[in-house]
Amino acid sequence: MSQSKWFLHPILIFISSIVAVALSLTLYIYWYVEVRTGLKSVLERANLDPDQVLTSHTWMVILVLSILVGIILMGIFIIFVYNQKTLQLFRLQHNFINNFTHELKTPVTSLKLYLETFRKYELTREDQLRYIEYMVQDADRLTHNINRILDLAKIESKTYEGKLVREDLVREVERFYEKNRHIFDGCEIHIHNPSGRSFLYRISHSLFEILLMNLFTNAIKYNESEIPCLDITFEPKGRGLHIRFEDNGIGLPQSEFRKVFKKFYQIGRSDDMSAKGTGLGLHLVENIARFHKGKMMAESKGKGKGSVFSLILPLKNLRLERKEGSDE
Amino acid sequence: MSNPTKSQILVVEDETHLAEGLKLNLELNGYDVMIAADGNSALENWKEWQPDLIVLDIMLPGIDGLSVLRNIRLEDERIPILILSARGDPNDRVKGFSYGVDDYLAKPFNLDEFLLRVERLLTRGAWSQKGSDSKGNSISSLPRFYKFGGNSIDFQTLKAHGPSGEIRLTEQEARLLRLFIANRGKPLSRRKLLEIGWGYARGTTTRTVDNFIVRLRKYFERNPKKPVYFKSLRSVGYVFGHDPDQDG
Repeated sequence: MSQSKWFLHPILIFISSIVAVALSLTLYIYWYVEVRTGLKSVLERANLDPDQVLTSHTWMVILVLSILVGIILMGIFIIFVYNQKTLQLFRLQHNFINNFTHELKTPVTSLKLYLETFRKYELTREDQLRYIEYMVQDADRLTHNINRILDLAKIESKTYEGKLVREDLVREVERFYEKNRHIFDGCEIHIHNPSGRSFLYRISHSLFEILLMNLFTNAIKYNESEIPCLDITFEPKGRGLHIRFEDNGIGLPQSEFRKVFKKFYQIGRSDDMSAKGTGLGLHLVENIARFHKGKMMAESKGKGKGSVFSLILPLKNLRLERKEGSDE
Repeated sequence: MSNPTKSQILVVEDETHLAEGLKLNLELNGYDVMIAADGNSALENWKEWQPDLIVLDIMLPGIDGLSVLRNIRLEDERIPILILSARGDPNDRVKGFSYGVDDYLAKPFNLDEFLLRVERLLTRGAWSQKGSDSKGNSISSLPRFYKFGGNSIDFQTLKAHGPSGEIRLTEQEARLLRLFIANRGKPLSRRKLLEIGWGYARGTTTRTVDNFIVRLRKYFERNPKKPVYFKSLRSVGYVFGHDPDQDG
């Protein structure tokens, strides 16, 4: 697509067609007026009453012409907007296929490789068990990837049916970390709650877990530090609760702060294959945040300086309680 | 370090399961296998271990597979390289082959096919190896001498002639020159120059490149302030160019 000629660029076509239509409108009117005056002088010379022949249609004609041209312009504009949207979707989808190809094919390749190995060679029981364990993990990874797409589809089509339960968010995050500690071996993860309060909020357990899993794994996955760190801080701020997920990872440039939440979006270009992952994780996170009436925000001090992802939940839905009060 | 009769294969793959599965199979077939999990260690292992064949994944953390390939091909045209990638459409294959890969296999692949291709590549590699004196003496596709304008470079003795007289090139300068010559007329970004020319991953300062360009200009440009051969492209990088017919 990038190789298309400059004169085929949609914006250029759009502008030139607008100019053409506007120009033709002025020319229509100009010629109409000219022909009319010419006719008028002919009539005058012929001593006929011009008003009799040429009833005053002038303004009517101009009005009708303008309306028609206006409709044409609007049509062009709408087609242009839709075209841009399609192009953008096409690009995103291309990106998605590239990235998801990798995510889906890798576990399948591994599974196939081991199955063929088993067919070809007689391995010791010990080796067999080891590789079977790999295969189970690969199958899990595949399931995980498939579930992510399905979850997203469900949330997007708003058919997600999950019970909303009032939970203490601090404890929810702690519980999640306890449960999945094995995944984050070798990482420093700390949960801070400086205000000491507990924050009760109505959440969907399964969705909130997906959100946490994505934010946790992102912090570790896009991290080149020796010991990946993740600090989670609960901060009541103004009219909302900010849950900050601060990591020491690769960070991101300011231009990407909003874009990372787009569907299929990946930092890095697909052409040099530096992009990796599905481009769905953060999009899913944002959708879950919205489902909980909250929003997501990304910040970073720049490349290589870590990044902060904040989940902001509105405070009016939030029960603030003293820690002592919620301890029972 | 290893049995000399065994062929050595370097497997560059960041997915541990796949890397181990490949290693297992290749070892069962009597090869000596080493695994590199990213582009940097791939380049290191290639230099130190001098494998007979490289199995290369494209999507790698750090330096990607294609840059690894180009980096190696700057110095060694002979070593057989097999790309094993999840991306198998014709465009990707063509890209791989244009950078000098010997074989391309898309994932998921057939194990027997993979093993047979490896065997074949090694056999052919052994033939061409016989022709050269020793294994370490690898050969680049570029001729030993290169001339442009009034300049001449001898890549074997690392001596060059420029407007300022005779110059002794460092290994790194020669490398960068080869990279520029191999990509004559094509713009190279600072990042690609770092990745291919130095084998650095992202995050290293690109000032290094600029400093080297300043030096190359001092060597070969009549007026380093107004470069004719090593031109900068704004917000892209550098391009090396000259008309071969005119300059001979």
